[in-house]
Amino acid sequence: MAEQAYTVASDSENTGEEKSSSSPSLPEIAVGIDIGTSQCSIAVWNGSQVHILRNTRNQKLIKSFVTFKDEVPAGGVSNQLAHEQEMLTGAAVFNMKRLIGRVDTDPVVHASKSLPFLVQTLDIGVRPFIAALVNNAWRSTTPEEVLAIFLVELRLMAEAQLKRAVRNVVLTVPVSFSRFQLTRIERACAMAGLHVLRLMPEPTAVALLYAQQQQMSSHDNMGSGSERVAVIFNMGAGYCDVAVTATAGGVSQIKALAGSAVGGEDILQNTMRHVAPPNKEASGLLRVAIQDAIHRLSKQDSVQIEVDLGDGDKVSKVLDRLEFEEVNKNVFEECERLVMQCLRDAKVDVGDIDDVIMVGGCSYIPKVRAVVSNVCKKEEIYKEVNPLEAAVRGAALEGAVTSGIHDPFGSLDLLTIQATALAVGVRANGNKFIPVIPRNTMVPARRDLFFTTVHDNQKEALIVVYEGEGESVEENHLLGYFKIVGIPAAAKGVPEINVCMDIDASNALRVFAAVLMPGSKSPVVPVIEVRMPTVDDGHGWCAQALNVKFGSSLDLVTLQRK
Amino acid sequence: MKSYKGSSVLATDHYPFLYKQPISSPPASFPSTTLSYPTRNRFLSTRIQARVSHDDPVVKQSEDLSFYDLLGVTESVTLPEIKQAYKQLARKYHPDVSPPDRVEEYTDRFIRVQEAYETLSDPRRRVLYDRDLSMGFSFSFSGRRRSRYNEEVEEEKSEWKKKWQTQLSGLKERSNQRNNNSMSWAARMRRQHHTSEDSS
Repeated sequence: MAEQAYTVASDSENTGEEKSSSSPSLPEIAVGIDIGTSQCSIAVWNGSQVHILRNTRNQKLIKSFVTFKDEVPAGGVSNQLAHEQEMLTGAAVFNMKRLIGRVDTDPVVHASKSLPFLVQTLDIGVRPFIAALVNNAWRSTTPEEVLAIFLVELRLMAEAQLKRAVRNVVLTVPVSFSRFQLTRIERACAMAGLHVLRLMPEPTAVALLYAQQQQMSSHDNMGSGSERVAVIFNMGAGYCDVAVTATAGGVSQIKALAGSAVGGEDILQNTMRHVAPPNKEASGLLRVAIQDAIHRLSKQDSVQIEVDLGDGDKVSKVLDRLEFEEVNKNVFEECERLVMQCLRDAKVDVGDIDDVIMVGGCSYIPKVRAVVSNVCKKEEIYKEVNPLEAAVRGAALEGAVTSGIHDPFGSLDLLTIQATALAVGVRANGNKFIPVIPRNTMVPARRDLFFTTVHDNQKEALIVVYEGEGESVEENHLLGYFKIVGIPAAAKGVPEINVCMDIDASNALRVFAAVLMPGSKSPVVPVIEVRMPTVDDGHGWCAQALNVKFGSSLDLVTLQRK
Repeated sequence: MKSYKGSSVLATDHYPFLYKQPISSPPASFPSTTLSYPTRNRFLSTRIQARVSHDDPVVKQSEDLSFYDLLGVTESVTLPEIKQAYKQLARKYHPDVSPPDRVEEYTDRFIRVQEAYETLSDPRRRVLYDRDLSMGFSFSFSGRRRSRYNEEVEEEKSEWKKKWQTQLSGLKERSNQRNNNSMSWAARMRRQHHTSEDSS
């Protein structure tokens, strides 16, 4: 990527090395940022409560987009669009959260091809080609770059208002993001001069806000703080996430997480396809009209849609709620499935649920509310949080807690015990994914498994690390790979290869591998330690390349007791 | 990343590995070694790290403690008390709230506390653990111990709540069989997942 003249400060991934020159006595309070697919917000602990910052147009919710109209790209923080439609001319790039860290074989990337900017795929497992239309030329960019430009604007805005340097951040992320996608978010932050303290799954940020509220109210009635179980449902434009949390005394223990890349964007596209005349490409005008119609349908039973698409094509249609719900049946079913899966994983009975919390833009859709409250068998939805602000407020609280800030009134006596959203493990037993740390394990965590060789005198073994839920490796995300060498000559099944995985409180994953022989007191070769993920772009290819090169010659199987 | 180099240095040119004999010989003793990988905190000098992992009283002690000891509760503890004890200990040992200079040892301790909580808060696993405890296997923490209490059973909790009493006898039986004819957890998982597949 060519060096850009604009404000992206650093392209270094190692920004953690720069020491901060601010005074050591006052810890810098990390800001919380909720980067949404369609809107972002930024908040900070101001010493007594969470304060959400506003942009120059007095907005707390800032549209997530970057336009490449002029010499200098401008993001939604500083830039004001004359028209909603201006976002749809091809000059503005948005929905980055749906594209970041995804390869061009991903269905979510393919669904993004109907957006007004260019999303081009070669379908070979590399990053998609993304470009904005500038003076009738496609100017290429990347999701990381767009996100970085936007984050720089957010940072400058926060620095101007807080009158200090802003460096440490807590960001909220979708539950379903792979570790590879998380590295791309970290990369974008590094480019924007920000250091990530925590990447919090969105519903866990809401859980922390809930924990604070519970703790405050239990102070009031002097209760010892018995455990409260809450289901947190978050659905924005790009993603749907669910968490089950058990909260007591300011400690929020995440019992289970579930999530997928389904959101308002899918609802929008389904509805556009349904309403658009046949053989007519989805236009920006239609997009705006449908978006508006969906918003109105949350308050009224039916809406009139009138759009002049040009060339004599007109859309004139009454859309009622039932029809809308039928068109988006698949989306609502997925919401239902996620809530049920999360409850099952948490081993929580619906009767034990104390609160159901719904946040995110799509939580206003009556059908979504109905689905969630039906599964949870709860009529009442928790009312103490603002659905569009809860995540960023939670992130700001976490920012203050992890920055070591103390509050004399106990408002920050909070703790989140996170759980892993996806299992991590290795390829073994043929093409199988063998989890070492299962999904919904509380972190920090350290687990290990023993493997052995599949061939006599096999001297090397390939450790291929995946993340996900699928039984076969192809269904999971490849995180990286390394080779153990120097296994002593022995019959197959004799060497003991220990694979240990360690996730620390900031969610960093390290993989260790050691070779033991029966009766030996210590590893026969130096232990290997690898921080994951190690794959960069083109990881769609890596597994195939490994397969072509090595076949099953360096395979592992789980060790059976003799 | 530079911060990461600290621990890889530890892994290669210092004492890379601690080898420990199990404190008592476990029923499903496979494999016969307990590994200890380099510790977490990448900012300590290797010398300090070595000291922390070799001599630290907190770590050392917790190796000998039962799950009940780890949670600071008696064997007659109730489930709500277990939950409360766990959350209190989390407030002390979780790396987000522990003193910066003790993150390393506290994290290790916290992982042990978590294992104790996971086992004792699950009535089925707790029964298995209590049985082992009564047989004299009191140690709490090691990879293969976990596998005995941690097997995944895909059931709805509601169902499981109703049935667990009756299941326990069956589980005990299975568990006894396993003592004679044990497989690793992964091997069992593998068998569950791929019964139809040839094992190589």
